[in-house]
Amino acid sequence: MKRYFAVLLGILTAIGGFVDIGDLVTNAQVGARLGTSLVWVVVVGVVGICVFAEMSGRIAAVSHRATFDLVRERLGPRMGFLNLVGSMLVTLLTFIAEIGGVALALQLVSSVHHLLIVPFVAVAVWIVLWRARFSSIENVLGLMGLALIAFAVALWQLGPDWGELATGLSPAEKPDAESWATYAFFGVALFGAAMTPYEVFFFSSGGVEERWTEKDIGVMRANVFIGFPLGGILSVAIAACAATVFLPAGVTVETLGQVGLPVAIGLGKIGLAVVVLGFFAATFGAACETGLSTGYSLAQYFGFPWGKYVRPREAAGFHIILLVVTVTAAGVLLTGVDPIMVTEISVVFSAIALPLTYFPILVVANDPDYLGEHVNGRVANTLGVVYLVVIAVAALAAIPLMIVTSMGQG
Amino acid sequence: MKRSQRPTVVAVLLVLPLVLPLVLLGGCGVVARPDAAAWDDRAAQALTDAGSQVATVRLALASAGEGRTWSSYTTVLVVQAEEAAGRAEEDLARVQVPAARADTAAAVLDLLDRAVDLVAEARARAVAGRYDDAGLLDDLDRLEGDLRQAAP
Repeated sequence: MKRYFAVLLGILTAIGGFVDIGDLVTNAQVGARLGTSLVWVVVVGVVGICVFAEMSGRIAAVSHRATFDLVRERLGPRMGFLNLVGSMLVTLLTFIAEIGGVALALQLVSSVHHLLIVPFVAVAVWIVLWRARFSSIENVLGLMGLALIAFAVALWQLGPDWGELATGLSPAEKPDAESWATYAFFGVALFGAAMTPYEVFFFSSGGVEERWTEKDIGVMRANVFIGFPLGGILSVAIAACAATVFLPAGVTVETLGQVGLPVAIGLGKIGLAVVVLGFFAATFGAACETGLSTGYSLAQYFGFPWGKYVRPREAAGFHIILLVVTVTAAGVLLTGVDPIMVTEISVVFSAIALPLTYFPILVVANDPDYLGEHVNGRVANTLGVVYLVVIAVAALAAIPLMIVTSMGQG
Repeated sequence: MKRSQRPTVVAVLLVLPLVLPLVLLGGCGVVARPDAAAWDDRAAQALTDAGSQVATVRLALASAGEGRTWSSYTTVLVVQAEEAAGRAEEDLARVQVPAARADTAAAVLDLLDRAVDLVAEARARAVAGRYDDAGLLDDLDRLEGDLRQAAP
């Protein structure tokens, strides 16, 4: 019974924790401008994150060691350093966006400017990272994130023309007003949002923190293969809500308030309150995950003690990193930079950094010295290689598309 | 960190701050002077952006009028739309108008000005909690249509 409960809890937190500020903003923007014609990218991205999260979870469960630790050892310090720099920059950018997202969510209920809220959010995130138990962060915020299911309910209530939504799934149904370059730019951004590197680092480091063993591989796979795709359905629901309300009205999404507006139209105040709670949980949870991921990655690369289960005195370096990145994130946001713009940049740069993140995982997952009988099988390797090609194409296309379309303006 | 890694790290840290400002400054002049086609693109973008903000305000006020949002949510939405509409107008107004577009520019800037004024009026009503003004919703509707029509 306890095992079934663990599986259920893991799946629910994986669903609730799947969506972050990048998914919220990018899916709403895409829905408002391109309808449902890019849903296939979400599907491709979700399958990709499942493939690599399963590999990194398996590595953690079998080797009891975290990703950066193994990458440095297996591929050498230079490749490890490149991997570290690419992933760290994107994760830090995402951390800044998430803290800004929490402030924007709180602004919607208080009407206090988000800049005044940012310092309080930063302090709250740091206290949670310092004091809260790992399982509490993962479970409480993950379960609260399930509030975003309100998007799916709102879509039902909005009563869209389901046939039209289904027809719109074809890329050929891209609105004529949008160019193919814009379509490709948002495709890359959606892919980057779905495959954000920190999700894999947090997942595998969490496995090490929670002392997964080979016996936990089944539960881990259930979390990945059921939880992540269901989380992906939330992303699709956000895009479909925006497509139903904003696309006919000619509205482009630039604020978090706009992201929630279709839910207000569909479900009224209660639904809106639930979804704003979901915004808070998704962004706060992701802020904790990205904050921890920066600490994990640096500590794992340089080889000093890390983790929530190690006493702060023994993992002083890890906790100092958490403090420094939190202060840095708050400092960047207090310059007045728009958190939504940081989000847009972070998802594109996430796509650029993907090869640096996922190639080493594929290499380590194929090494019998670390994984023994649990090395990648033929299916995992085929999918891994196919995804590396897709990831490389997305990474190479990201910057040219960003320049040509002026960050998706047209 | 090994000694052999240091030159690579230092090179990255030194080159980035030197190259980035040059790249960023390369595209910045004191005044943007686009040709007629580029000005048309900018004008179309400004009209589209303003139209989007007017439509957002209309949706926000209509939802608030039906009791579907609470006051702080509506206020934040409308204030952000007002800021964005203002930015769209200011960005275009700062661009040097090509001689061939002098008349068009006046009409476009006038339309954008109307959009900013109407959104500001909507914001004032939203802050005062007066959402049920059918006349204002009609005005927003009409203006959005005008903006959409003016954007090629």
